[in-house]
Amino acid sequence: MKFFGKILRFELKNYLTNKVFVGITVFLMVALVLVLFFPRIAGAFDDGTVEETGDKPVMLVTGDGAQAVFPSFQAAFTDYDVRLYEGAVEQLQEQIREEAVECAFVLDGLTSYSYHVGNLSLYDANTAVADELLREVYRLEAMVGSGLAADDAAQIMGTQISHEVITLGKDQMKNYLYTYVMIMALYMVIALYGQMVATNVATEKSSRAMELLITSAKPTSMMFGKVIASCLAGLIQLVAVFGTALVGFQLNRDYWDADGMMASFFDIPLDLLVYMLVFFVLGFFIYAFLYGAVGSTASKLEDINTSVMPLTMVFIASYFVVLFSLTGDSVDSTLMKVCSYIPFASPMAMFTRIAMSTVPTVEIVISIAILIASVVGVGVVSAKIYRVGVLLYGTSPKIWDIIKMLRKA
Amino acid sequence: MELKICDIYKSFGDKEVLKGVSLTAQSGKAFGLLGRNGAGKTTTIRILMDVFPADSGEILVDGAPIDYSKIGFGYLPEERGLYPKKKIIDQLVYFAELKGMGRSDAVKAVDHWLERLGMSEYRNKRLDTLSKGNQQKIQLITALAHDPEVVILDEPFSGLDPVNAMLLKDVVKEQIAKGKIVLFSSHQMNYIEEFCDSIAILNGGQVVLSGDLHQIKRDYPRDRLVVRSAQSEQILAQVAGAVPGEDGAVLVELADPAQKQAVMRQLAERFDVDEIRVFEPSLNDIFVQYAGDQE
Repeated sequence: MKFFGKILRFELKNYLTNKVFVGITVFLMVALVLVLFFPRIAGAFDDGTVEETGDKPVMLVTGDGAQAVFPSFQAAFTDYDVRLYEGAVEQLQEQIREEAVECAFVLDGLTSYSYHVGNLSLYDANTAVADELLREVYRLEAMVGSGLAADDAAQIMGTQISHEVITLGKDQMKNYLYTYVMIMALYMVIALYGQMVATNVATEKSSRAMELLITSAKPTSMMFGKVIASCLAGLIQLVAVFGTALVGFQLNRDYWDADGMMASFFDIPLDLLVYMLVFFVLGFFIYAFLYGAVGSTASKLEDINTSVMPLTMVFIASYFVVLFSLTGDSVDSTLMKVCSYIPFASPMAMFTRIAMSTVPTVEIVISIAILIASVVGVGVVSAKIYRVGVLLYGTSPKIWDIIKMLRKA
Repeated sequence: MELKICDIYKSFGDKEVLKGVSLTAQSGKAFGLLGRNGAGKTTTIRILMDVFPADSGEILVDGAPIDYSKIGFGYLPEERGLYPKKKIIDQLVYFAELKGMGRSDAVKAVDHWLERLGMSEYRNKRLDTLSKGNQQKIQLITALAHDPEVVILDEPFSGLDPVNAMLLKDVVKEQIAKGKIVLFSSHQMNYIEEFCDSIAILNGGQVVLSGDLHQIKRDYPRDRLVVRSAQSEQILAQVAGAVPGEDGAVLVELADPAQKQAVMRQLAERFDVDEIRVFEPSLNDIFVQYAGDQE
């Protein structure tokens, strides 16, 4: 590993003086500062008056029973200018087409209605709200009809249940957001930097700087120098961005306290951050080594994209397994359990399980041990591929050729 | 110092690239490694520089196995290339550091060579802003900055204009005078003839000819005369064994090489002769003869 330090320094300096790298990092930091300081800045401009919210869209209520439900519709649809309407349905539809009116409920008694709307939005929940309102009015009327006093009936209908949740394991609701963001960050950094390692190696080869490099330093030093430099660059970027976010949030904590989501996002337990670091570094290495090895087999930059495809596929597949398990509330499914021992998926899978569920320590230890062993194994194999690959020019070798070369190396 | 490559064999897969290559190079002398494309020159150089090991054979320095921590190599590869997007000073210092120099020494040495090759003004420019010839001069610095004991130059003159070629010649002569081993590989035979005392011609992974260049030339049968004369036509018509040679000269084959002095005198008396000498093959002729048919 002669000259490893020099190579590491040179490669790291490449990242840190790269305008794009610095630009993106600074941009993200500035953006985060702006977002996190926004309530404070907005507060400075806020003179306390509530702004007039402008013209609300018009919602019409008409038909049999419209009079009875009108008050509760008005109370429930605060985003709309709710009006009673007397007239033909055709005219009403005409008004919707002309966009004078956004939507209309044509009641047919309290248990049936038609909802008229121009473009039905994906998020239109008006019918669900109307269902609930009508049911309530119907029940109230039914209760009064069967002899109950109107006040009593209203009280029964309005009964509130109080409850409290005592979490013994992990509060998935609270952990969800930052787990999601961390998995995302892990994915982005590994995908980006892995690709960069491959491109760097291929660039050295295609520019023939490799001809000189291989006579000066051992391929192993070159590869480890590159991979570790990009790992450090990735870490620096992560720390800079997340650090800015954390500091920005702490400085503005008072302004954000009302926002539970924001607060829960920054309430990351320390042990989880440590796990994040461990899985990031190990996950990064296992992929970056392979990306480096694949990069060394390409003789032209254009070949890189096709060469790294299988590796990227494996990576994307594991990302989606983890992501779907996370969003689909199945972090402890058999698939996830298996994935948390497979080195290529375990950095994301095991991390998600630790964050979102309760995992026995022994499982974590086994998973990390398998991962470390695999990183060493993959490192050795990749160094061998690299050593042979950097001297190969012409067509990219087939996988079978590489295996043959490895057996000899 | 004597650098000796002994009986090197190397195969890649089923393909045997080197089949027992042996060479000897001396300090203060230039050695020409010749051969057609694919003859095994680059593989020999790579094994010499410990890029990969030979299957068998050894490399000796003054009789003892080579110690790569003591013997420095400088290499100008035939396939030129550095980092196109990086500042020249940065990459030159990096390469010098990879050859074992400390940072400040590396900066000093690189600046010295930039000055020597008239490239100081490009010190802080990106490599890809330079012309091809200037890029080549930059690349030459990577081979020389760390003051190596062995300098390997693969096609050093290709792409250089006559002024730069002259500059490079001076640098090479200077290196030889400093007692370096200079290993030349080139297809431009005139440069090899100018610099190299000994040569080796590789063909199909074997050394087909090696030794002192002058001796090799002298060892050719001295049975032909080159005659330059205004009366070429008469000589061709009247002298037995006369055939047209290059550039209007006439080649006269000697029936008995021992009689060459007598024949020379005769020719000089009978015709108006400008020049008459014993024919020696050029390196080009020798190369074509030995490397011509690839096995």
